[in-house]
Amino acid sequence: MAMLLRTHYKLAKTAIKENRTRSFLTCLGIAIGVASIILILSLMGSISNLVRSEIGELGSDLIVVRPSSTKDSLTNIVEELTSANSFQKSNLSIHDVEAISALENVTAASPIAVSTNTVSSEKNNFDSVPILGTNTDFIKIEPLALRFGAFLTDKNEEKSVVLGHTLSLALFNTVNSTVGKTVTIMGEKFMVVGVLDEIDKSINLDNVDFDNALIMDIKSLDQVTGSTQIQQINVKAKNTDSLAKISEEINAALINQKLGDKNFSVAYGDQITHPASSLFTVVSGMLTLVAGISLVVGGIGVMNIMLVSVAERNQEIGIRKAVGASSRNILMQFLFEALILSVLGGIFGLALGYILAFLLSIITPFAPYISWEIFAITLLTTVAVGIIFGIYPALKAASKNPIDSLKHYR
Amino acid sequence: MSENIIELKGLTKRYGYGDTESFALKDFDLTIKRGEFIMVMGPSGCGKTTLLDIIGLLDRATSGEYYLNGEDVASISAGRQARLRAKKIGFVFQNFNLIEDLPIIENVALPLVYTGYSKTARLKNASNALRRFHLNEREYYLPYQLSGGQQQRVAIARAIVGDPEIILADEPTGNLDSRASHIVMEELKNIHEEGNTIIMVTHNPALTVYATRVINMLDGQIDTDVKTVSDANLPQPISVKIKKKGKAKPEFVEIPSDDQDQSDSQDRKKRKKTRRKH
Repeated sequence: MAMLLRTHYKLAKTAIKENRTRSFLTCLGIAIGVASIILILSLMGSISNLVRSEIGELGSDLIVVRPSSTKDSLTNIVEELTSANSFQKSNLSIHDVEAISALENVTAASPIAVSTNTVSSEKNNFDSVPILGTNTDFIKIEPLALRFGAFLTDKNEEKSVVLGHTLSLALFNTVNSTVGKTVTIMGEKFMVVGVLDEIDKSINLDNVDFDNALIMDIKSLDQVTGSTQIQQINVKAKNTDSLAKISEEINAALINQKLGDKNFSVAYGDQITHPASSLFTVVSGMLTLVAGISLVVGGIGVMNIMLVSVAERNQEIGIRKAVGASSRNILMQFLFEALILSVLGGIFGLALGYILAFLLSIITPFAPYISWEIFAITLLTTVAVGIIFGIYPALKAASKNPIDSLKHYR
Repeated sequence: MSENIIELKGLTKRYGYGDTESFALKDFDLTIKRGEFIMVMGPSGCGKTTLLDIIGLLDRATSGEYYLNGEDVASISAGRQARLRAKKIGFVFQNFNLIEDLPIIENVALPLVYTGYSKTARLKNASNALRRFHLNEREYYLPYQLSGGQQQRVAIARAIVGDPEIILADEPTGNLDSRASHIVMEELKNIHEEGNTIIMVTHNPALTVYATRVINMLDGQIDTDVKTVSDANLPQPISVKIKKKGKAKPEFVEIPSDDQDQSDSQDRKKRKKTRRKH
């Protein structure tokens, strides 16, 4: 049997070589589908890698509290996306942050509340600047380097802001002498006390593009905009050994604080790396679906070409049957051909996908993500495509009557 | 001393129903002994080809019995039919029916693919078969690069490569000129003299000189049936055993039989060797 399989493999190889152009085009159909799947998987992998590496930088003592229970099902995500404002539902408050800070095993706790607003200096005026509302503990958790000045402190926290590197350049055309100048937000004046170093890392745990952001005290932000929604609370634990115990304590403290409302989640370690944005999950899911559709189209191409091949090789099928091939032999021969076309396309696609991922990595921070899971998924998918779309032509070939097949050639 | 290799009893093949009903074979009885060289003649549409297809297990009769080597094969599964085709039957067609994309050596090796020979064994056997027909220098030619007579000799090599018991030839000289026809018929004669059973359909009465038995068919039935050689004088096979896988060299194995037969077969072996030297 193994020998016969090898023979089928060789036969298929010959048949594919005979029709080089046709086989190449068929493979290309599969390759494009596989390449787009590879690209998306690589992108997703590299994004969670970025977040994971950031958590590595922050240290293993990080605990994150997020509003609403973990978004594990698609329905939850869609629900959240379709509600008017995804942060509207946030039920975390400054009092929760204070409750967490008060815990014995917690070194620091800072809220993350992002809103956008117009920020203006004497010279310039910018819409939609991300404004991060937090507290003085923030710098203890996120090791952001300051180019000039200082971060918010207990003394200056009111009416003070810290600017991102790019934002500072945009507002004042400089980073050097920005400290001490004033910016206006919703008519209120704030003094710039610090400018951040350039970071160039737009994907991070907090979902904030620090280079373009303005950082200010959360209470001031609340006064200016009227409403702030805390989208997450970052907590630094006193020691790394008992993260589980500490998160239990935070959990208990919050339930106590919120009078039994359990609509939040406490995560540490690997749990944090779940994509922070549900939009990301949905978009990548949709992209995978589209790539899957192109793979189906590629599969139909395989089926089409196999049907042509079966029709063309009518005589060959008749001859093979006359000299002793059983229907099963013929079935295997053509199924193998479809399989090889499809898997070959998969290998092309793998290469193509990674080439694209590499090209993408030149202009974006997403390094190509290579893992054996991606290889396994590719191989299994292409084998499945080969079988699903190859079985019908193969059955058709196998069921041919040798007498009819040879009738025209006698 | 010659056993029955094929027995057909009351074989009927019907096409169509009711008004369109027609019979390719009607209540057909035939017994074929090992070593016969049968020519089947008759007008077009008398059922010659249908008979060959049914004997070759490519087609099934509507009713009737078919015993191959004493085994009832009329109603066995398609898979078993295929296996019997691979082992016991060799086909030769009017249009040669070689696969255009394969070099002739692989065309010849084709039946061995389905009987479980390794690739080297297949190619060695095919090469030996081709040498027999003086085509060993053209092993990697494609069929279209050969003349009709050469192609038909390739087809005959393919038919005998698996050492079958029965060779079925459907007008093997129909597409050949008289010279090529003559060569092909001489080859078939040699194969027959080695003890193979050959059933051949033809339109050419001149070829009947090669036959040991001539059957004339008319409307799906036997019209005349003439034996020119008595059953006792039919050539009997020397068994050629080819080892499967690994050692592929064909070996001649003596079959235990009476002295006269043995010397006879040794004689034939010598003859064969001298022929190869040419």
